[in-house]
Amino acid sequence: MPKTTKKSDTTLLGEKSGLYKLYETDQVITWCAGCGNYGIQNALKRALTLENFDIKDVLFVFDIGCNGNGSDKIGGYTFHGLHGRTIPAASGASLANPKLKVISSGGDGASMSEGINHLVHAVRSNYPMMFIHHNNLNYALTTGQASATTKRGFPMNSSPDGVIIDPINPTEFVLNLNPTFVARSFSGDIKHMTKIMRQALKHKGFAYVEILQVCPTYNKATPQKWYLDRVKYLEDLKEYKPNNLEKAKKYSHDMENEIYLGVFYKDEKQPNFYERLEYRKNLQTSPVEEVQAYPIKELLKEFT
Amino acid sequence: MQRISLKMAGESGMGLLSTGQILSRAMKKLGFYIVSDREYPSLIKGGYSCMQIDFSDEKIHSLSTGTDVIVAFDRHGLLEYIDTLKDGGILIHGYERHNLIPALKEKIEKKNLKVIYLPARELAFALGGDELMVNMILLGILWKVLGLDYTDLEAQVSIQFASKPKLLEIDLKCIKAGYEAKETDGVSMAVKKPAQVPDTILIDGTRSICLGAIQAGVRCFFAYPMSPASGILTYLAAKSHETGMVIKQAEDEITAIQMTIGAMFMGTRSFTSTSGGGYDLMTETISLSGMTETPLVVVIGQRPGPATGLPTWTCQGDLNLAMHSSHGEFPRVVIGCSDPTSSYELMQHAFNIAEKYQVPVIVLTEKVVLESHLTVAPFQENLIPIERGLVTDPAELNALTNSDRFKITPDGVSKRWLPGTSPAYYYGNSDEHLESGVLTEEADTVKAMVEKRMKKTETIQQALPDPQIYGDEKGADISFVGWGSTKNAVLDAINSAKNEGVKINYLHYDYVYPLKKDAAVRFFENNNNVHLVEGNFEGQLGKLIEHATEKKFKGKYLKYNGRPFFVDDILQYAKNN
Repeated sequence: MPKTTKKSDTTLLGEKSGLYKLYETDQVITWCAGCGNYGIQNALKRALTLENFDIKDVLFVFDIGCNGNGSDKIGGYTFHGLHGRTIPAASGASLANPKLKVISSGGDGASMSEGINHLVHAVRSNYPMMFIHHNNLNYALTTGQASATTKRGFPMNSSPDGVIIDPINPTEFVLNLNPTFVARSFSGDIKHMTKIMRQALKHKGFAYVEILQVCPTYNKATPQKWYLDRVKYLEDLKEYKPNNLEKAKKYSHDMENEIYLGVFYKDEKQPNFYERLEYRKNLQTSPVEEVQAYPIKELLKEFT
Repeated sequence: MQRISLKMAGESGMGLLSTGQILSRAMKKLGFYIVSDREYPSLIKGGYSCMQIDFSDEKIHSLSTGTDVIVAFDRHGLLEYIDTLKDGGILIHGYERHNLIPALKEKIEKKNLKVIYLPARELAFALGGDELMVNMILLGILWKVLGLDYTDLEAQVSIQFASKPKLLEIDLKCIKAGYEAKETDGVSMAVKKPAQVPDTILIDGTRSICLGAIQAGVRCFFAYPMSPASGILTYLAAKSHETGMVIKQAEDEITAIQMTIGAMFMGTRSFTSTSGGGYDLMTETISLSGMTETPLVVVIGQRPGPATGLPTWTCQGDLNLAMHSSHGEFPRVVIGCSDPTSSYELMQHAFNIAEKYQVPVIVLTEKVVLESHLTVAPFQENLIPIERGLVTDPAELNALTNSDRFKITPDGVSKRWLPGTSPAYYYGNSDEHLESGVLTEEADTVKAMVEKRMKKTETIQQALPDPQIYGDEKGADISFVGWGSTKNAVLDAINSAKNEGVKINYLHYDYVYPLKKDAAVRFFENNNNVHLVEGNFEGQLGKLIEHATEKKFKGKYLKYNGRPFFVDDILQYAKNN
């Protein structure tokens, strides 16, 4: 067999720079220096480019928070909604037009507090969309209150004596919801995030991606170095395959010493919500293309 | 004009609804005009409930308070509604132990009622039926008492139970036993069949809203159940195979409306429905629609509040809620449905307005409108063209720039195109923004953008149709102003009063907000005895009109006991004022 050399991401991005450029804007960024959002947005642009998404193929739906403040700093159609509600808005959009890739982004509030019910039911419903959970262990835009992922004992703006309740481990939580795609990455590793996001973009159901995100301003507890000392990669485990929920839960559990990153679980066979609508099987169109006066004559018959 | 009012009363779960349906459909086929509604408690079995059917050889729109015939299915039915019978009215029942109720005897004598009693339970068992067949025996008696032909009822029952031939056989036996019972001898209302059978449909507001939505091109529907709006979810889900509409019962009301706004932003037509309490949860998203100029349509099926209130009863108490809900200032439209036809048509207009002006539209309806069945002219297709106000021409789409999306224009309305259709993308930003959607906090721009959006209120107000006047335009003895279901009782009162030489006219608002105030001013100027009629405590429309027109109502007829306005309510009020 002739040997093919695989092009590096950098080479490919160079070749596709025209596409990549579309996601760039001239807007002044308002994130703090050292914020994890720079890396996350960069990885997302790379992943979209490498997967050949034009800006016309994507809808970004943002929550309120620091990451949402980037909603007008990226090229493309965006919807910057209400706090805690990015998932339901995005899921409605994804059902209206499954031909566009809907990428929803939210922080700890949208994922684990005010919006946790939406996350639970979106996982259950397996909507055709991707969700990026920016887990920076606090509410930064409101100046550093505890979130549901803040570690116990750490003093925050709203809990000066230290948080007295235990945090939720988001990836472990989602793995308990019978999901179809769960992954975790780290804002300090653009290459890894890009790899994870590319897989999430290809997933046809609900893709949950947790990003452990540094917050140099309000999260002094787990800075960049803290993560670098602890992150491990599932990819490095020869025996690990993302097809076993119990094993996935086991590897996702530790958030103190060995924090695993990678795709924990993936089930490509489960049809997404849209595909489960048997009665739409024969329709080639999506709801955005179907707005026209539907006949009611037949339906009226039972009232005559 | 002959108008007859019937009540079927008994415990919930006794088959009142299906019996009432058979009866009203059989009457409709004979050419009668019908209004029917159900009173029932918020539980599944037990408790008393009642189905009222008014019918006439002329068009009618509302129910009356006095009853000509009561069919009581059990003890509850006998006792709870007997007071509504007119003197000399007819009471049909099958309750064996009726002799043990002294109060019943007293009332029968005092009101001089004609009582037809048949041991219906016993008879039903003897004919091979069960407890539920009591309905059919009593229905047979009723049909005989009305003086109608057996075959007309038989035909309708045969249609209703066509798929259950065994049941049908027993049903027909029971009906015949009732119809031929000698106990009916000498009691006949000798109802005259209409000479002609008009082309009508018999339909309720719930299904009319749904058909309006289907005709308007709605392709996604998201909702969380809440009485009295749950029927919309049920019907749309039941018809999804025919329509192909995407239906999702959401995990809560916030989700339902967020999914709706997401689907509308993406560019299909979608809506959600709820009642006042569920709408409370949705209000933040109404504001989001205002800020991002994303079209949105929400149906509120009103029931009395506050809090859980009276889940299965009716009111018009949520007008203020619809007009004032949500933080911040933004344009919106509030519409009120009054009957099946208006529900069907206003749903279509709601979508056109929401999309053309890129605003939230709140469609108010009421328990009594959602659940009352009326005979109306068959709904027309393609009567109201779909108007979306979208840029769809490929050349124009290619020539767009990002800032066209929220461009400041004389009428406040900017171009809108769907995500993915143009290289000129935009930001639907809930933060205050520039014309392109990019966030801004710059004072002059903020001011300009607020003014741009608020300008749309004026634009819409001018575009909305005027309220409708029923009766003569001027010179009435008494005039009413109202919205929603009150129209039905007033229309019947106008006709009734005319026969007695009393002139009533009525100004009805389908489009309640933004208020077409000039029409109200003219109405006040042309009539000198103008009263408000409204189903709430505060007179919410009344206050809006008085504030906008600086005119005062002579009186306000307000009802807030969970019941709708009946035709005799209006006639009595007119007599006293």
